[in-house]
Amino acid sequence: MLRIRNVQKSFGDFQAVIKANLDVEQGEIVAVIGPNGAGKSTLFKLISGYLAPDNGSIIFQDREIAGLAPYRICRLGLGMSFQIVNVFDRLTVFENVQVSVLSHLRRAFDLVTPAGRVAVEQTMEILESVYLANVKDRVSGSLSHGERKALEIAIALGTNPELLILDEPTAGMSPDETFSTIHLLEKLNVSFGLTILFCEHDMELVFSFANRIMVMQQGLSIIQGPPEEVRNNQQVKEAYLGGTR
Amino acid sequence: MDFSTSITLNGLIQQFLIGLSRTTILFIVSSGLSLVLGVLRIPNVAHGSLYMLGAFLCYTIASFLGASSLGFWLAILLAPLVVALVSLAVERGLFCHLYDREHLMLLLFTFALMLIFGDVVKAVWGSEYRSLSPPEVFQGSLSILGMPFPKYNLFLLCAGPVVAFALWFLTQKTKIGKIARAAAVDRDMVAAVGINVSWVFASVFVIGCYLAGLGGALVAPTQNISQGMDHTIIMEAFLIVIIGGLGNVWGALLGALIFGLTASMGILVWPQFSIVFPYAAVVIVLVFRPKGLLKATW
Amino acid sequence: MVKRLSTRYAKSSALKLLLAFSVVILLLALCPQFLPRFFVYLLALILISGLQATSLNVALGYGGMYQFHHAVFFGIGAYTVSIMLMKTNLPPALSFLAGPMVAALLGFIMGLICVRLSKLYFGMLQLSLGSLVWIVVFRWYSFTGGDDGLHGVPVPSLISSVNGSYYFALITSIVALFMMYVILNSPFGRILQAIRDNPERSEGVGVRVKLHQLVTQVIAAFFAGVAGVLFVTVEGSAFPDLLSWTLSLEFIIMCLLGGWFTFLGPMLGAAIIVSLRTLVGVYTEYWTFALAVILMLLIFFLPEGVLGYFQRFSPVPEHSPAEDK
Repeated sequence: MLRIRNVQKSFGDFQAVIKANLDVEQGEIVAVIGPNGAGKSTLFKLISGYLAPDNGSIIFQDREIAGLAPYRICRLGLGMSFQIVNVFDRLTVFENVQVSVLSHLRRAFDLVTPAGRVAVEQTMEILESVYLANVKDRVSGSLSHGERKALEIAIALGTNPELLILDEPTAGMSPDETFSTIHLLEKLNVSFGLTILFCEHDMELVFSFANRIMVMQQGLSIIQGPPEEVRNNQQVKEAYLGGTR
Repeated sequence: MDFSTSITLNGLIQQFLIGLSRTTILFIVSSGLSLVLGVLRIPNVAHGSLYMLGAFLCYTIASFLGASSLGFWLAILLAPLVVALVSLAVERGLFCHLYDREHLMLLLFTFALMLIFGDVVKAVWGSEYRSLSPPEVFQGSLSILGMPFPKYNLFLLCAGPVVAFALWFLTQKTKIGKIARAAAVDRDMVAAVGINVSWVFASVFVIGCYLAGLGGALVAPTQNISQGMDHTIIMEAFLIVIIGGLGNVWGALLGALIFGLTASMGILVWPQFSIVFPYAAVVIVLVFRPKGLLKATW
Repeated sequence: MVKRLSTRYAKSSALKLLLAFSVVILLLALCPQFLPRFFVYLLALILISGLQATSLNVALGYGGMYQFHHAVFFGIGAYTVSIMLMKTNLPPALSFLAGPMVAALLGFIMGLICVRLSKLYFGMLQLSLGSLVWIVVFRWYSFTGGDDGLHGVPVPSLISSVNGSYYFALITSIVALFMMYVILNSPFGRILQAIRDNPERSEGVGVRVKLHQLVTQVIAAFFAGVAGVLFVTVEGSAFPDLLSWTLSLEFIIMCLLGGWFTFLGPMLGAAIIVSLRTLVGVYTEYWTFALAVILMLLIFFLPEGVLGYFQRFSPVPEHSPAEDK
């Protein structure tokens, strides 16, 4: 479904991603792990179009998407949720998700229909699935961190993606919130066949949740494989136990 | 729409020199604006009012001291200093509480200042025109290639490079210049190493406003001093700063050259529409380089 | 259950709102019967400035775009209708339509150049393009009358009297405001507000941000053109100051004063500023001083404007039914 080959990106003299390879198959849950500064967030931004790679190819559903604008990549069925909470602060929770549903339904240039009557059911469905239905009329700027994180995911779901990319989805969440988020993602994966690509610091979570894991270190992807294989890999042990050089 | 004006080489050179002396004033004013915009991120609309204030103060001080040359030079010296003092009071009293606001709010705030300064000038000096003659040394004109050229403009042509050099020295060689440049890029970092950013900002603001006052004082003998001179200069100075690159002092020089020269050369081509040329030049520059010709500081 | 409750609630509050508006409109419609002519004229000016400020707020408050030179579209609308009425024999209705259309076209052209940038850069670029338009209008004596402007525009007799122009301004403003209200509450308007809050994220959910902003420019310019046309019917003249950047800033102040995250805020701001200018202007020539003081107080103490301030402290109406679940 997603095939990344030899992708490279540098900012001035700093090489953020030197050579990254990654495969994601339909229906999988894939995790990218690696020490801080390994280039995970940059890689995700390259996939979702916020950055254009200097080199290499990113193929999604048999189409080359490297360097396309984010809105085009989104329309191909790739949703992105950010590490830093990135919601629409002055809109209500309902409106936040509705915006993304409206965009998905190609209603962006509908100038006459009252927005209160469009896409209400889809939006409510998503809000209920992330347990935000009871705060739907709150202004999103006033939510707690965990709720905002959940909203972040809900916005990404609004575009009905086939592949969902999550940059540290549970960062800063309480254990309860983490549990329900992971539960939600599993549900989406199992019942709707949503493919998930995420990165995360919590190793326990990664190894219990992901089907396959890709390890990055200093801009290079070292290995990709099932959890067991990665756990026993010598290079990975060095990367984590030997510290970052 | 008279295209028949014959363009002679001498006329060309004369217009070029006139354009250059206009450029000097534009550069002095817009470099101050650029400095404030670059370091403090304030689009200071009141900058033009300080220029106007400088011109009126120059007139008043010169007339108070009598129409001697000494009086004139003292006025050129003192008027910008008074403007700087006014700006210091404004910065410490009002601006320093607003630095974390949006650009739009800052812009509107300076607009309020502009209105107030405008009314103050109206109240103090009334709405008649004032004019000031240059000191005797620079009265009358010289003949350059058979064309008359006002002596005072020669003085302006010399003043431009002096100010440019002083600014270069200030920003590149002095401690406060270095700190200000660092603060323009990352003010939190500068604060973190224990420098009092607040005072750095105040000094930059005062220096920027001093330049506005200086421009006003220098321009006083060349034109009618009147209300409304703030409106024209601020628009021009903003455009110059934009095409030069926000916060870049050399950009201000380049922008002032483009603006001053297209205006004076335009007179040779199409006198009635000469004032349109600099504006058109600005638009052309911005269509191709929307962020200005030289690197902006932010 | 939730949905039904909230629609019922929405319906009853919408009914109240409709009733309130009908009363206001009725009062406005009756004004010429009991108010002196000068106040009718003043009301017309308020409506026009309010319409102009509301159109500015479409881009500024709802779109988060630094629309620094919105007066250009106002002025171009006014000049278009004046020039067509004075210099052509086309039917007046056509001239009245042409005003907003030309303003929208200018909005499209300037927008094409400006939307590539954002925030302060956008504003500055618009300011410079706008001042080019201004200087051309200012200098082109043979076509625009130069700094004298155009006076004695032959407005059709039906709407040229004080009352006639007032009713024309009233009806047109109400229709235009209604249209803008519909647009801002459509999916387009929702997404526009999302772009204001977070352009990067909007792009990430598939929104074509620049295109959206361009369309916003055209819409805002169109309604500014409508306001410009109304100005000509009331004043019978057009002059270069209509395109000046200080006027643009004044419109921004109206939005700020009334509250730019509210729909009716700019109208309220316009009412305050226009009446202030007229009433204070009677006693002193220093009315701008009063404006400046108000502006400073606003920035320090009321950055969300008058309506914004009250809205923050009123209960959110849709909140309660949602909790009945």
